[in-house]
Amino acid sequence: MSKTILTVDDSPSMRMLLRSALTERGFQVHEAEDGMAALEWLTKNEQPHLMITDINMPRMDGFGLIEALRAKPQHRDMPILVLTTESSDQKKARARDAGATGWIVKPFDPEKLASAIRRVSH
Amino acid sequence: MQPLTTIRREKRVNVGQGMSLVTADPEHVLTTVLGSCVACCLYDPRLQIGGMNHFLLAEPRAGLAGIGGGIEAERYGLYAMELLINDMLKNGSSRPQMRAHLYGGANLHDGMRAIGTANAAFAQRFLEDDGIRLSYSHLGGSQARRIDFRATSGQVRCRVVDVPPVPVVAPAGSTGDVELFGSARTEATGR
Repeated sequence: MSKTILTVDDSPSMRMLLRSALTERGFQVHEAEDGMAALEWLTKNEQPHLMITDINMPRMDGFGLIEALRAKPQHRDMPILVLTTESSDQKKARARDAGATGWIVKPFDPEKLASAIRRVSH
Repeated sequence: MQPLTTIRREKRVNVGQGMSLVTADPEHVLTTVLGSCVACCLYDPRLQIGGMNHFLLAEPRAGLAGIGGGIEAERYGLYAMELLINDMLKNGSSRPQMRAHLYGGANLHDGMRAIGTANAAFAQRFLEDDGIRLSYSHLGGSQARRIDFRATSGQVRCRVVDVPPVPVVAPAGSTGDVELFGSARTEATGR
């Protein structure tokens, strides 16, 4: 059975690119447009094997999303990869402290991303 | 006595290939010279801020399929657009408020792959997919362009020039660096 990924990014173009890159590599992809939409999706659907989230998004950003999920027992162990244009150590540390599993800097390499997903998804 | 014309001070800021810059300074004029590269100028009329990027798509690696190299090529364009849009968002703008201009995408030499056309098509499709209104474009052709963009008023001057732009440099190899944090790294090594 293919692993399910929830991608969270406010850019439709980026979500399309992720969908294309990940489905080509055998993953099943679901999408949310920001942190709030991701939380809503997770209340209605089975937890995916892994979530990939951007940081800079309207309504609820990636940091807020990770903190909200880690506060819920059912999502405490879900692997979460941050995929972002941000490269500052301060923001990376904030993501780690919030409970992110990993940090990937755009523009991403589809092979590296798929490899990271396979390493950390249960 | 009123002066016949008001001379506005200006600070010219060059936006080179791979760069992205947003400003709220009314004296800033963002400027660049484009050949096959594309520059997207974004302007928010309500906030009176604006910015410009300057990018080209990557040459696809051998064996990769898709129009213009597909994912391999487009991820650099996406990255450039996201940098610009994120800076606009951080300054309080939103996609529906933004107005875009596109320039460049020329095919300067006969017989070469039409990289300018691919760059222009990507930028137009990106704006449409991301719901950003394209107000004006001056794309294609076979000559270089010089762009001067007063970002806080949205005024643009686009001139076709004989001066060749700085030679195009292919985007650097992918960063896409992956860093797995503590416990994940432990899992990955099987401990």
